[in-house]
Order: sequence, then structure tokens, then C-alpha cells
Amino acid sequence: MSNFKTRLYDEHLKLNAKIVPFAGWDMPVQYTSVKDEVIAVRQNVGMFDVSHMGEFLVTGPDALKFVNYILTNDITLAENGKAIYSPLCREDGTIIDDLIVYKFSDDRIFICVNASNIDKDFSWMQSKLSGFNCELVNKSHEYSLIAVQGPKTFEVLKSIFTDLEDIEYYSVLEKGNFIFARTGYTGEDGFEVFGTHEEIIKLWQQLLEKGVAPCGLASRDVLRLEVCFPLYGNELSDEVTPYDASLGWTVKLAKENFIGKEALSPKPVKYKLVKLMLEKGIPRDGYPVVNGSGEVIGVVTSGTMSVTLGKGIALARIDIDKVPADDVFLIDIRNKHYPTTLIKKSFVTGGHK
Amino acid sequence: MATNIPENLKYTKEHEWVLIEGDIATVGITDFAQSALGDIVFLETPEAGTTLTLGETFGVVESIKSVSDLYVPLSGEVIEKNADLEGSPEQINSDAYGSWLIKIKLSNTSELNNLLSASDYENFCNSSH
Repeated sequence: MSNFKTRLYDEHLKLNAKIVPFAGWDMPVQYTSVKDEVIAVRQNVGMFDVSHMGEFLVTGPDALKFVNYILTNDITLAENGKAIYSPLCREDGTIIDDLIVYKFSDDRIFICVNASNIDKDFSWMQSKLSGFNCELVNKSHEYSLIAVQGPKTFEVLKSIFTDLEDIEYYSVLEKGNFIFARTGYTGEDGFEVFGTHEEIIKLWQQLLEKGVAPCGLASRDVLRLEVCFPLYGNELSDEVTPYDASLGWTVKLAKENFIGKEALSPKPVKYKLVKLMLEKGIPRDGYPVVNGSGEVIGVVTSGTMSVTLGKGIALARIDIDKVPADDVFLIDIRNKHYPTTLIKKSFVTGGHK
Repeated sequence: MATNIPENLKYTKEHEWVLIEGDIATVGITDFAQSALGDIVFLETPEAGTTLTLGETFGVVESIKSVSDLYVPLSGEVIEKNADLEGSPEQINSDAYGSWLIKIKLSNTSELNNLLSASDYENFCNSSH
């Protein structure tokens, strides 16, 4: 079977984007240069076609109750018009996906999920619906999605949508067929704009005319890694719990009941996710992490050259019983052990509001 | 895709260029290779004195998102490496043919027959992409 193409595919070809297969889709990986695209987002404004991502809509009297039951985070803490990030876990606490929930109201909740997990998430959620008075619909084929990211995002969107409100980070609003969410995967200020295919194609062209830099999956990955956002398939997987990926803050054990609560209540931890920076050498996914004695203690889950810092950066999963007391972590790159610096916060601080 | 392929050089299917002067070969990566890799940020090549065998790897070139092995185009001994280039590997992006990696003193000149001419290399690039 050939890969899916987003409705913006022809736009990418017009821009001579390099196209790669990703999660069953043919997606633009870069347009000009990864470096220029990262810099555009950090300093100015860039846009990503992320139409491959999935959208679900939950409606009905029990919508809030249902969504709060299947997620580990507490969406009752969100007011109407707010968004919340949460893992979706199994009874045993392992992660099915990570997603963003947009709460329009208690009886109307929009969910954005990873492209690679759309079918898995939808069938899981469907299987948990019984007993709840609400409807779950997979709207993924109805929406295209552009993430506009960078400090000049609001300015440029406002020039197209003159009545766009300056909503807070992790807020959402509907305008006609558009959904404007002040969220993203870069750490910068930005909006993710969901809309009909035709309207999103038009928006892409308008943004291009206004000088917004088209950016591909490669720069998106560098940007998210610089601000230490986890990626499903790398830091998160069917094998680990939120505690194994430094996402303990997304597990609200005070909630009355939710799937995975029993397994997650003792706060089981198998791994520690650490942030490592290198003066020399570039870490890559799968490279071993060793301690001062050269013993393998973990693995790099995501690694790249940071464009913003000009240094190698990595998120690494360390066996919890092998975390060295001296904080000495080295990364094995082609059988040579490169020293690292353990970073406490994130490698780069984004400018989101 | 860039197709700058100088006539005076020889090429390999691993997208390396070779300048032959007597029994000395100067080696770099082609314009096609630098363009496919994107922003080059790291380079690792062997020190002078290292013995190289045809077809084995002799180093790596890394872009922001990828790692590519460098393959020995001709057997011999490294007589010089372009140490300056390791500090500024992005030069390869701006001038692939002006950015040599290593110089090899050849131990088996019959291997020269394996190299591609500029036109053969151009055909190879067109057929593989």
C-alpha cells in the first residue's frame, strides 16, 4: 500500500521539499535547511504541515467524565477553552499515546493524537465507552492542520484573521470552521490551526506569501528535543509508564478513578529519563549510555545536534537501579565514550507565553 | 538536486570524489552528497599514518539529523588529513570540491580502474534518484 499524503502535499512539492515516509505518510522532512528552519522558528516564525495527526471529538452529557476516566491527567482542572496535555494509559500504566485535550465545554471535547497511533487510540477509547452517555467520533479525515510557531506567530496570524484574540498558552477557540489552539511542539509561542482541507490549503498559501518559513519534520524534531518534549516511539512507548519518562506530573492520583490508577498509585519507576549535553560528538537514538566505569546503564532515546546551542544533546533512558550517584554519564559513540553534562531544566528555553 | 560534477575528478558510488596526482589521491565528498546530507555539523577522519583498505569505512560525516559512513575509495596510507575542516565541516556544504578530507598514498594503483568518470557518476546519480 502506498503512503497517505496530506492535502498540502502538492504545496510541498512546489517548494521542492524533501519528502520522507513517516508513520504511514509521505511528509516533508525539510525545505531549505534544517538549521535555517530551526532558526526561523526560534527567532521569527515558521509553519509545519501536521495534517497527518489525528483528531477525535467527544460529545454528550458524559464527555468530561469519559475523557477524565481514560486519561491520567485531570481535565476537570481545565476551564472551558483550555487545553491539557496527558498520557493515555492502559490498566497496567503503560502508555498507549500522549495527546492534547481541548475542552470547549463539559459536553464537547476535542482531542489531538499522534498520527502513528490514531487507530490504536480510537479502538482503545471505543472499547471503554460503555456506561458513558457520550459519543466518540474520529474526525481525522475532516481536518488539515498547520502548526504556526515562533515569536512572530500572533502578529502574522492577526494580519490574516483580524479578529483573532490573543489567548493564553494552552487555550483554544473556535472561529467558523477553524480551531485555533495556542499549543505546539517547539517551546515557542505559536498556534496550531485546524480547519477544513480547502481552508487550510488557502491559509498555507497566505502564510507563505507573508514570509512564514515552511519547516519540515527534521527541524520539528530538533526544536522539540531542544526543549525536552517527549516523542511517542522514542521516550514514550507501550513498554513504559509516565513515571519512566519524567511525566509523573501528568498522573493525578487524587482523581477518584481513571484507567491505570491502581497500577500507577505505588509510583512504579523502572527508568529515569535524563538530559545530557555534549561538548564533542553527536548522540543518536539507540547509542548506549555508560557510567564512569564503562558499564552500560541505559540508552539514548532521542539525540541530535542542537542548532540553537551548537552542541550534541540527548534524552536518555537509564535503568533506575543503575543511575550513578556521581552523575557521570558518558555516551558510547562508535565505541568511544564521550563525556556529557547532566542538564536539570531543558537544553533551550522556548519563548512561549 | 545539485549536479555539479567536475570533469577532472574521479568518483565512487559512495558519492566521494578523488583527485589523482601520481600515487597520491585526494578524497572528498561530492556536491550531490553534501546536498543530500544537508547541514553538515560533524566530521571524523583518520590521522596520518593510518592504513586504509578499499571498501572499509574510514570515518563519518554527520548532518544535524543523520550519520553517514565514509568508505575508502582506494587502499593506501593516510599521509595528511584536513584538520581545519573538522572545526568547520559546514565548509563542505558551501564548497564540496574545495573541501578535501584526506590524502592517501596509494598501495595498489590497479584499484584506480574501479573509479567512475564524471559522466559515469552523473548517470549513476540520475539512475539512483
